[in-house]
Amino acid sequence: MIERTDRSRARSRPCLGRLPDWTLNLGLALLGLLMLAPVFWVFITSILTTDDAFNLPPVWLPSRTTFAHYREVFDLLPFWTMVGNSLKISGIITLGAVATSTLAAYAFARLRFPGRDLLFVLLLSALMVPQQVTVIPTFILIRNLGLLDTHEAIYLPAIINVFGIFLLRQFFLSIPRELEDSARLDGAGHLRILLQIIVPLSAPAISALAIFVFQAAWNDFFWPNLFLTSPEKMTLPLGLVSLKGQYGGGSALALFAAMSMVALPILVLFAFTQRFLTESIATTGLKG
Amino acid sequence: MLYGYALLSPALVLFLVFIAGPLLAAIGLSFYSWDLFSAREFVGLQNYRDLGQDDTARQAIRNSFVFAFGSIVLHLGLGLLLALAVNRPMHGALRYFLRTAYFFPLLISWASVSLIWLYALNPNFGFFNYYLQQLGFQPPNWLVDKTWAMAALLGVDLWRTLGFTFIILLAGLQGVPRSLYEAAMLDGAGPARRFVTITVPMISPTLFFALILNFIGAFQIFEPMFIMTNGGPADSTRSLVQHIFETGFRSFEMGYASAMAIVVFVVIMIATLIQFGLGRSWVHYD
Repeated sequence: MIERTDRSRARSRPCLGRLPDWTLNLGLALLGLLMLAPVFWVFITSILTTDDAFNLPPVWLPSRTTFAHYREVFDLLPFWTMVGNSLKISGIITLGAVATSTLAAYAFARLRFPGRDLLFVLLLSALMVPQQVTVIPTFILIRNLGLLDTHEAIYLPAIINVFGIFLLRQFFLSIPRELEDSARLDGAGHLRILLQIIVPLSAPAISALAIFVFQAAWNDFFWPNLFLTSPEKMTLPLGLVSLKGQYGGGSALALFAAMSMVALPILVLFAFTQRFLTESIATTGLKG
Repeated sequence: MLYGYALLSPALVLFLVFIAGPLLAAIGLSFYSWDLFSAREFVGLQNYRDLGQDDTARQAIRNSFVFAFGSIVLHLGLGLLLALAVNRPMHGALRYFLRTAYFFPLLISWASVSLIWLYALNPNFGFFNYYLQQLGFQPPNWLVDKTWAMAALLGVDLWRTLGFTFIILLAGLQGVPRSLYEAAMLDGAGPARRFVTITVPMISPTLFFALILNFIGAFQIFEPMFIMTNGGPADSTRSLVQHIFETGFRSFEMGYASAMAIVVFVVIMIATLIQFGLGRSWVHYD
């Protein structure tokens, strides 16, 4: 029985030539390894001695290792300060974007007020405004507010997240209103309905939004590069790029060590949350 | 009734201050000549007229279009192929590995990705050319070769973001009811016919979504050019964002940079509207 369903599945797959399954799987797996290779190369190179690093053929399985380049990172960069800056900025942007998007999405999904649909379309059209269009006036605005070289310059403009409003509104609309009726009969106000009924039911959408906003803020280079000039205020991506030194020199290895330290926690986390993350991307993608 | 506005107000205020306001200001600024420090001077349409004569700007516009077009074709084509290949019965562990391996570069910042490939593509100690040579190729010095620099950047972009297109197309394929294929097979439709008459129409909203996102993303790309090639060699990889950035913050021509930004905005708007218009003929929502 099981066998039969399997076979009919295999036959019913969309077109992909007549390759035997195992060769295709092998090819896909090889491609997967190729995707991993550059990052693996960075990890390995970061623990090689200065003599062994950057020799050809590349070393994939080192015989001698050292953590000297990791120590060097802390001499060259205020590394933990930068970690703190990145965490602070990304954290504020994430909390702010989730909060403002949730409130706005609830207003669009559940409340009636004049101009609601017009406002929604207006907000949505902002998705078409690319960052290079607003960069000059935003810079002037930040300068006039006296916020150059401050963290506020990075997180204030990033807290508004039009995509988040849209995403959460769609999700809230899919929640049946009946669930709120009894609460409303008990005299609960909008804020209580939102916090006690809508938000818990929307946990998947809200956490997906939070993850996307956080990683975008964590990885951003463009805006911090524009606004932050003091090393002790910089975020990690800026610190990494500032290490871009002489080819083959010691600071290149420090750069590899720093990149490894930034990437490793994220990749380990991803290995365990891959399914949730990719599935939420897929569903939000379809809803957009 | 006021409650709606109250809930909306934080988002709305930030929207007005950081999106709508700057957009209007950019339009206004584009009619001025201004170096950020001395007094503004109204110049009318002069900035727009200058754009027509500016070879570097035209080169940047061309580069951005080449990059966007190449990026869209590569991402949608390879992303769809990969999604089709993974959307087959296979061992759960293999599927998990493939999804992870194809997707994970997206979590590495553009700054790191640019730095990794800056070193990986170096002909003296990077592994990339070394293995190409072992395979018998004569690879160019990618990032300093006028002919190949853009191709190299397209490749790096593919490495980092292909996983996104792959994952959403895979989800689209998984949403196609199997019964449709079975019915088509009963009617004697071959694989190619099933692909054209079932798969493509059924996943057309997903394809369209991927197309629009890739288009908007490709036009905003900044870091790889800025970090890996600095727009060179000979401006062959200079992108529009970089050009606007440098016109504004290196040459301090705020009005001129704004005029460029407005042209970009209008071009993206028109291209997006065209895509939505064309989409009507091939995208099927249920």
